[in-house]
Amino acid sequence: MTKDRDYADLSAEQLLGKTLALCRLAKEEKLNVTPARVLDIVRTLKSIDYLVEEDYRLAMRVNIAGSKEQEIKFDRIFNRYWHRIDPADGDYKPWRPELIKGNKQYGDNIAHEDMLAEIEEFGEQETSRRMNLLNRWDPDQPPIDKIIKDLARKLATRPSRRQQHARNGRKIDIRRSVRKNVRHGMDMLELSRVKKRRRKTRIVMMCDVSGSMDAFNPFLLQIMLGLQQELKNSRTLVFSTSVTEITHMLRRGTIQNALHDVGDTVRHWSGGTDIGHALSIANRGVMTEGSSRATVAIIISDGYDNGQVDKINAEMQALKRRVKTIVWINPMYGASSFQVRAQGMKAALPYVDHFLPAFNADSLKVLVRDLGRI
Amino acid sequence: MSTNSLPMFQSIDAVQNAFIEQNYIADRALALTVKLAADLEKPILFEGEAGVGKTEVAKVLAATLDTPLIRLQCYEGLDANTTLYEWNYARQILAIRMAENDNEAKTKLETSIFGDEFLMNRPLLEAIRHPGPRPAILLIDEIDRADEEFEAFLLEILSDFQITVPESDTFTAIHKPIVILTSNRTRELNDALKRRCLYLWIDYPSAEKEKEIIQRRIPGISESLANNVTDVMQNLRSIDFYKRPGIAETLDWSRALLGLDIETIDEQTLQDTSGVILKYRDDVERLKDLGIDVLEKPNTDQQG
Repeated sequence: MTKDRDYADLSAEQLLGKTLALCRLAKEEKLNVTPARVLDIVRTLKSIDYLVEEDYRLAMRVNIAGSKEQEIKFDRIFNRYWHRIDPADGDYKPWRPELIKGNKQYGDNIAHEDMLAEIEEFGEQETSRRMNLLNRWDPDQPPIDKIIKDLARKLATRPSRRQQHARNGRKIDIRRSVRKNVRHGMDMLELSRVKKRRRKTRIVMMCDVSGSMDAFNPFLLQIMLGLQQELKNSRTLVFSTSVTEITHMLRRGTIQNALHDVGDTVRHWSGGTDIGHALSIANRGVMTEGSSRATVAIIISDGYDNGQVDKINAEMQALKRRVKTIVWINPMYGASSFQVRAQGMKAALPYVDHFLPAFNADSLKVLVRDLGRI
Repeated sequence: MSTNSLPMFQSIDAVQNAFIEQNYIADRALALTVKLAADLEKPILFEGEAGVGKTEVAKVLAATLDTPLIRLQCYEGLDANTTLYEWNYARQILAIRMAENDNEAKTKLETSIFGDEFLMNRPLLEAIRHPGPRPAILLIDEIDRADEEFEAFLLEILSDFQITVPESDTFTAIHKPIVILTSNRTRELNDALKRRCLYLWIDYPSAEKEKEIIQRRIPGISESLANNVTDVMQNLRSIDFYKRPGIAETLDWSRALLGLDIETIDEQTLQDTSGVILKYRDDVERLKDLGIDVLEKPNTDQQG
């Protein structure tokens, strides 16, 4: 690893200038660098020996990063800035000496390593595969916020053990009633009532963005954005031959920004389909998090698959045990000539609780109504 | 507002040494984050898989600084009442009834009915009112399990370290508590909350670190057994189980093996004790299929 400058020779003033430049670079790379954070970094430098390069990097990172992915991203930006190591030239090594042993390129940090491997895979194809999703977004689509809320309400059926204040509640809230009646000399003139809360459902949505689903992209984008913005507790993954979680990107400000970020990151859009692989990743990650009784998995796919049918079978079985309900939305279902011909769909169907059609806002409205009847 | 005027850690090495004294092996990133949190009075947000030692950091830090650990375990439906304060209504009513026929006591009670005597501190208020001399450690565990509304409410507390009890007073932190939030990442946390925290992802330990942890935490374990356990655990983590075993499982398993007086791990031992390491039936089945392979020494060139 060659350095462009001897780090230890920098004066405090020069280092501050470099630090601010690095902050600007991180901001350009879409890390959350705010003026408050920059001030925190400067304060941080007073607290450490900033001439020790690793401490300097870690101190900046704990202030800037907000997730594991951002930690990796920051390390790359830092290396590129200080050591001119571009991630694209394949010469990148994370800067944690404790992780580098023997011939291991990325140490034994399994989670980071997997993620790096996935990012490296895209390599030179980055530009060619970058998708301009704004072309696939229809700004004239009717809003679906209300439909999403209705959908979430229909799926949330589990009463919580917690109570909430309600005029029509059957149970009397003694504490609140006592507090209310202090002013009446403890004569119980006003009663407060409570009823059981309804638990919020955690929705994990998996959208098929393979080539065969291209025609439904405007609808997919709308439902993904709508769900993520209406239900903060939900997660969204897109899959084709790879899987990417896009939850945090969909929450980013405007629709344009969100679509830009997703198009920039998901390089496997319009690829082949491996449903079994996607389910396997989800079953080992997002589906194991949170309570299974409160999780609903929504899969939006046509079921056309290039992978192994056995794997779909096994992973659907596992998914069934990890979530409360599996809803499969197939945009093809609804056409008068529809039959379950796709192998993937056939394998998955026995484990699906609700198999429903939807391909635009109107059909989604019908779907929500149908869910109420089930 | 007073701040943490007492010097807590002079250097990152001092943090590492203090943690080692409590049998916790902290890497440099963790030690640096703890030092910065103490110096800058900023909360820390630890994320990582279950069982990698996030909660333990708070316990160790409290023991190191000889200060109370105030723990707030988050769950769905957690609200301000449960986390801030409650009035002891039963006592208040009793006091009102007792003072009914005594005018002097009645007048006195009017001023004291919403006083400290009847106020029950819950974790957040308790941490803020902690008199010192060192700040309390406030552990807000598994924040991702709480509702978003609670997260928003927490923002206010973490910014001002001040709680207003409308009937009584505004309480400002005498010594700002050192706040540690942990998350298993079951959902993404609000950006606003993350912005207020120092962030660190805690990963599974390296083989050397894992072995050191075993030897420090389980006195009496032989070096060969510690080596064996480490090798198997490192191997197991390279398999895509539904839930990869964390360091907590490593320690449980080591204790179990020591208790069973087992010195060498063979396939039968692994199968018999697999319930200590793996928590999903599918994973236990998978381990059975893999058999002896997981007992081989991990290949450090290809691992991961």
